[in-house]
Amino acid sequence: MTASISLRGVGRTFGATRALADVDLDLEPGVIGLLGPNGAGKTTLLRVLATALPPSQGKVRVLGRDPEVPADRTEIRRRLGYLPQEIGFPRGFTAFGFVDYIALLKEWTQPPARHAEVRRVLDQVGLSSAATKRIRAMSSGQRRRVALAQALLGSPPMLILDEPTTGVDPEQRVTLRAVLAELARTSIVVLSTHQTEDVAALCERVIVLDRGRVRYDGQVTELVRQAAGRVWLADRPDPAATVSWRTGTGRYRNVAAHARDGVEHVEPSLEDAYLLLRGGLPDSRPTEEVAS
Amino acid sequence: MTGWHVDDETLRHYVERTDSMAEGASVEQHLLTCAQCRARVNTAATAVDSTMVDLAAVWDRTRDAVEVPRPSVFERLLRAAGIPAHEARLVAAASAFRGVWLVGVAAVLAFAAVAAMIGHARGLWLFLAVAPVAPCLVVAFSYDRRWDPALEPEMVTPYPALRLILLRTIAVLAVALPAVLLLGLFVPGEAPFAWLLPAVGFVAVVLAASTWVSPLNAAMAVSTVWLLTVWRLAARSASPTAVLQPRTQVAFLVLAAASFATFLVRRRHLHQLRPWR
Repeated sequence: MTASISLRGVGRTFGATRALADVDLDLEPGVIGLLGPNGAGKTTLLRVLATALPPSQGKVRVLGRDPEVPADRTEIRRRLGYLPQEIGFPRGFTAFGFVDYIALLKEWTQPPARHAEVRRVLDQVGLSSAATKRIRAMSSGQRRRVALAQALLGSPPMLILDEPTTGVDPEQRVTLRAVLAELARTSIVVLSTHQTEDVAALCERVIVLDRGRVRYDGQVTELVRQAAGRVWLADRPDPAATVSWRTGTGRYRNVAAHARDGVEHVEPSLEDAYLLLRGGLPDSRPTEEVAS
Repeated sequence: MTGWHVDDETLRHYVERTDSMAEGASVEQHLLTCAQCRARVNTAATAVDSTMVDLAAVWDRTRDAVEVPRPSVFERLLRAAGIPAHEARLVAAASAFRGVWLVGVAAVLAFAAVAAMIGHARGLWLFLAVAPVAPCLVVAFSYDRRWDPALEPEMVTPYPALRLILLRTIAVLAVALPAVLLLGLFVPGEAPFAWLLPAVGFVAVVLAASTWVSPLNAAMAVSTVWLLTVWRLAARSASPTAVLQPRTQVAFLVLAAASFATFLVRRRHLHQLRPWR
């Protein structure tokens, strides 16, 4: 089975709303970041990749198989780990009980092997000591890690993660990055996030979606390079900037669509490049106070 | 030293610590003076490495005892009925099979049966209204996404959605139909089995309709139509048993068969997120 995903002319509509349009992508093993504003179509794209939602138009091939064919879809699902954006937990379940339940659905029918696998993934997300804790009594970060643990079952060759680090504390985020980086040596890991630092730390490749269309698909370093010379610090917001905000040092970080001379340039971040790609934040004021 | 050596069977028992104290003492006494048997013990012990295996197994069992959740009463009942342990767990995980739901449904049915016994004709109408729709409501709860918060990760597993839904439906029917049958025994004037076909028919309609709309919406619609039908009949006719005549029973049988066939034909719509999501 080929470890790749391809989408050709993929679109998805919900009634009169177009969530995805003309998406062409080829995904290979590695960590691929998916960035975009709310409503850009990230979750819809991930659901299509995870065989949870069929596309309205276009063709999808996942791991060399056609998800429209029931037998192929089952084979894909055997090799898939999926963390949805929103996940609930049945009442009364413990962390171990929930992951064990999903493991049963993933055809781990032999108790010794299944229990060992459940312990392995709970350990990976740092929840070994909370295995018997009821999920209802857990913090939101712990619940997110339980949800992530079920996706890691069986070290799948395709991992689709919708905002995996939401609510997770910094130490655990670093641990999870290490887990995902290790998996990405042989697996396709696609993650959507609003945390550009996660993408910068993990992904070689980034896809930026906006209003259902791919606005950028390429190397993270190349996207950041496009912002070179367009980011500078100043004592006040620069009217020439597309967006500026007050940093923790009290100075203003200015990001502009065009290169500017005679200013104190700084190394651009992925966030700067992302903001530039989107032309600034349409609903933001020219200057925003950021407590950092 | 004699020419006697520990035979293979005794040696195996000694290494695996399955011998008696007397046998063990005898072997050890011999080993003190026989280098050849000591070497055989060493070889066997290395191959078996029984201490490590035992410790690992004991540790796993200990962790299982602490971490693996105890099966619910319902799950134990399913296992006792012959359903494999892993499938019993999948069925019992549904919200509809939490004790509170089962008790609630049983209470409603019991209330209807008591009302039927006490209130004669009016009570019988009440039983007629409630009993056939209770199973289809529990079936709907057993796989409706509003009552299954983990639907999305469940949906993209290789386990067939059709099988899971049918297993849960059979579990509902295995509990609800005997209950309806039992309570029907206390309802005067009609054969208890007469309530079964409407209940089965409505469950099949909910299964079929759930390939278009949510299971719970389908069950609510079926229940509403049935309640209105019973209400209209009650308003016009003096006898509630008119609904349970042979011709009506045949109609329910046809309804069940047609609905179940529709469900099977449209089963591919169970594999992915419903359009209403």
